[in-house]
Amino acid sequence: MLESDESQPNQEALDRYHVIDGDCHYMESFHDVAEYMEEPWKTKFEESNFDEKGAKQNLSSFFPFSTGDRQAHGKITREHSSYPDEPETPERIREGMESIGVDETLLISHLILAGAGTTADDDRQSAFAKAYVEYMQEEVLDPDDGIHGLAPIPYGDVDASLEILDRIEGEEEYVGACFVTAGATPPLGNRKYDPLYERCEELGLPAVFHTGGAGLDEYVRAGYQEMLETHTLGFLESNMSQIVSLVVQGVPEKFPDLDIVFMESGITYIPGLITRLDEEYLKRPEEAPLLEKKPGEYIKDFYYGTQPLEISADPEYLEKCFDMVGADSLMYASDYPHWDYDRPTTVTDLPFLSEDEKKQILSGNAQEVFDL
Amino acid sequence: MSTTELIEVKPESEFEEGDRELVDVNGIEVGVLRVNGEFHAVQNRCLHDCGPVAEGQVSRKLVGEFVEPGKRVEKDYDDNEPIISCPWHGWSYDLETGEQLADDDIVLPTFDVVVEDGVVYVDGQQ
Ligand code: FES
Repeated sequence: MLESDESQPNQEALDRYHVIDGDCHYMESFHDVAEYMEEPWKTKFEESNFDEKGAKQNLSSFFPFSTGDRQAHGKITREHSSYPDEPETPERIREGMESIGVDETLLISHLILAGAGTTADDDRQSAFAKAYVEYMQEEVLDPDDGIHGLAPIPYGDVDASLEILDRIEGEEEYVGACFVTAGATPPLGNRKYDPLYERCEELGLPAVFHTGGAGLDEYVRAGYQEMLETHTLGFLESNMSQIVSLVVQGVPEKFPDLDIVFMESGITYIPGLITRLDEEYLKRPEEAPLLEKKPGEYIKDFYYGTQPLEISADPEYLEKCFDMVGADSLMYASDYPHWDYDRPTTVTDLPFLSEDEKKQILSGNAQEVFDL
Repeated sequence: MSTTELIEVKPESEFEEGDRELVDVNGIEVGVLRVNGEFHAVQNRCLHDCGPVAEGQVSRKLVGEFVEPGKRVEKDYDDNEPIISCPWHGWSYDLETGEQLADDDIVLPTFDVVVEDGVVYVDGQQ
């Protein structure tokens, strides 16, 4: 018989905390978003043979778009979400949140994560992002009920991105701007993106960098065969490359009041990146002349979503990683309803965190950064 | 007040711009350099991994200025900040203060240089 065990995640403990989820995905429907699109995209989408999601996940599970079926060929199901087979509906958002123990949530578009694979033109991403912003504000987001939004930024088109930032100025539904790190070429520290960071800083909107799976199969080199390979490496590399680019090119010096957040690569990579970059910087600081301190110090100033937290790691190692990044830089994030989502128990059960640190990570930091 | 302990290098008249001399200062090898007319003396043992830093390239600090969003960072050399770089892996130090350019908590020992009666000396007190 299964005995209750001290080492098992303690569901009850969750009631003691106010939990804000920094990264939850709303599986919007292409059909719904198309309603808000400008022409010619509205007609193009409506007349396309897409199903509501553009393409069903299960359609891709045998001949994958991007190594492998996210649901691991039937292993993973979601009782409290329509994902992955049907679009989500606003009514079910709360149900999903309650099922994992979340009080407030920040929604990031699901479909935009695939947008980074669209390299042929920068028009489709902008058309989608603009319509998404309208659709979500009109039909889904509900800040009074703790359902907040991040506006996708189609950074390949700086003008369109600025239009989106203008559009959400002062709109309480949007608490940040979301940059999908996969596929960003040139990387996001390039000066061409400066106007976006400048505008975010001016509006008091944090820039949330979110890794993504688009293009994973051929991530850096072609030939990987399993999602275990591409997801382990690609999700990490997409964030690491942008962190390095932002820091070395001096974005935090150029825009000192901009809050920068990175989502969805866990946390153990951060100390590795800090130490490696610092080691190199000691040898070639002249290549980053805007920096006033070591790159690692800037990296520690950024915020990080905790998911997918490496809770199976040696606790001493994990504790050291938390120490190096700092509890004041971490935010609980679920990534719900995706295959590797984390419940808040991943944080509440950590033996080495104080109560104050748990509160900081579960809601305090997010409240401060997103002004909730 | 600390006492000075002068170690002779060579006559000033023979110390040309760009010259370097290595002297022993209480068992520490010290490089004495003349850069832009000024004398500098630094320990010839890099704090990274003991490389002969005092024999490395002397250049100027590269500085960057953020002019405005979207514009290239303007980069130029600062004529007033001579630096010395260790030939082994490139750690660079401000020649005057000894501070590692990437981390001013790392400070290469420097020494005062004095000229008395036409002779250049290193002051053995750090
Ligand atoms: S020993 Fe001087 S840079 Fe390595």
